[in-house]
Amino acid sequence: MDILLLLESALNGALVGLMYSLVAMGIVLIYKSSSVPNLAQGAMVMLAGYVILAFSNQLGLPLWAAIPLGIVTMFIIGVGIERVALRRLAGRPIIMILMMTLGIEIFLRAGSMTIWGGTSRPLPLGISDAPLFLGPLLINRAYAVGAGVAVAMFVLLVLFFRTRIGVVLRAISDDYTAAWSVGISVERGVALSWAISAVVATIAAVLWGSVQGVDQSLALLLLKGVTVAVLGGLDSIGGALLAGILLGIVEGLASIVLDPLLGGASRELVDAAMLILTIMLRPHGLFGRHDIERV
Amino acid sequence: MTENPTEEVLTLNNVEVVYDYVSLAIKGVSLAVPKGGMVALLGANGAGKSTTLKSISGLLAAERGEVRRGEVKFQDRNISGLMPQDRVKLGIAHVLEGRRVFEHLTPDENLIAASAVRSRHDAARNKDRVYSYFPRLFERRSSAAGYLSGGEQQMLAIGRALMTQPKLLMLDEPSLGLAPFLVAEIFQILSRINREEGLSVLLVEQNAIAALEIVSHGYLIESGRIVMHDTAEALKKNPDIQEFYLGGAENKNFRDIKHYRRRKRWLT
Repeated sequence: MDILLLLESALNGALVGLMYSLVAMGIVLIYKSSSVPNLAQGAMVMLAGYVILAFSNQLGLPLWAAIPLGIVTMFIIGVGIERVALRRLAGRPIIMILMMTLGIEIFLRAGSMTIWGGTSRPLPLGISDAPLFLGPLLINRAYAVGAGVAVAMFVLLVLFFRTRIGVVLRAISDDYTAAWSVGISVERGVALSWAISAVVATIAAVLWGSVQGVDQSLALLLLKGVTVAVLGGLDSIGGALLAGILLGIVEGLASIVLDPLLGGASRELVDAAMLILTIMLRPHGLFGRHDIERV
Repeated sequence: MTENPTEEVLTLNNVEVVYDYVSLAIKGVSLAVPKGGMVALLGANGAGKSTTLKSISGLLAAERGEVRRGEVKFQDRNISGLMPQDRVKLGIAHVLEGRRVFEHLTPDENLIAASAVRSRHDAARNKDRVYSYFPRLFERRSSAAGYLSGGEQQMLAIGRALMTQPKLLMLDEPSLGLAPFLVAEIFQILSRINREEGLSVLLVEQNAIAALEIVSHGYLIESGRIVMHDTAEALKKNPDIQEFYLGGAENKNFRDIKHYRRRKRWLT
């Protein structure tokens, strides 16, 4: 087998993987600040794509205006989700909250299907199709841009969690009651984490929308996002970044090596295997925090 | 009561708390903490001590509890109905039972997180103050709080409460699971803070021996009711308290316990 071909798909796989990380980071963000695994993250990416298109196509705004407006809108929607759906569940068993996020996922998908229909719409960012070579390896420009944005987002989020507000959010995730006892507004903290996560989803939507268009299938990014988030350790932003690269490379190689043998779908098989094996062998993921147990 | 109400930082009048609309946890608790005073609330497991504290700090809602009757007054203001963070802002700090530090944060971050209701400037000053009371926390300020020893975690929990600049500090069983010398150390620091800053303290304890050493007054709560209230000196001398809470029951037998219960019913 051609070693260059393998290298090329590994490299492009890594770039795609970083774009998965962008979805995973939204999940990590909410988990890290409220201990809720958000199953609606994929649907939020999809919704953000539709919102941006609504601003650019239906209102006729240029993309450079539609994207910031989309970010603001999604920020508000994130706050709204907490206010309407999650606030009354604070302190309830995690399984109810998990089911609620699943409900939100279904609602967002069904709602956008009703409003915008099922046809795929392009979201052209204007990234050129001209070939980009790294030595002998051909790189997809759109993926490269997406990967760059993902890394930038990673840096921003790491810095954010070191600020005072970031520390407060991490405290909430550790212990709701203790957070209340020292005057932290847990509700507002959780709302903020959903809002920021919705903003991250919007950025993911721009990049993924430009690659594969905006339609219901954007919501399926949840599966990649969850796999990457779990593999990285649900509360580690850096873990999400590295796990994304890892998953991307494995997927890229699998599609070259396994696809001819299996006749396709090997990417999804690899995803599933990674998710299941992580949970079986290393439930805290690569970099996740361990539950601290003192003797 | 005949005391002038402005001298009390906290008053509870006939407070009744129910969980889940049905189960009555405390049944008409009345108590008062004088400004700058140190008061203990003593009682056995399940007597309603923690519930009383939660009714003051507003943490009942998270456990589906509610104050159904009576009033909680802080600095002459009825605070029932305020959110927990608003009560913290007014100056009520609640150190939870079992310490409950933010385990994955460092002590430093624990203190920063606890200053959410105060300005950045105040936070820096308060942090220095906490470290001066608890130098050991400063030494361990950058390791995960979950790995601190029990005593250090209790110090951190108290330090975290101090970060909110309280006027009333409520502690729920700070001695739980700690070696006696640590209990003594922590209680010493508490009375030092009380002396130096005039901070009012409401101390909930099962460890009555240690608690009665540092407080001026004590209340005894049993099955959700206050059954006794007196100065610490008088409580220490009270034969019933000696027998059941100070471990002085050498020559007693079960019949006397029944006798005590009978007498207590008469008291309430």
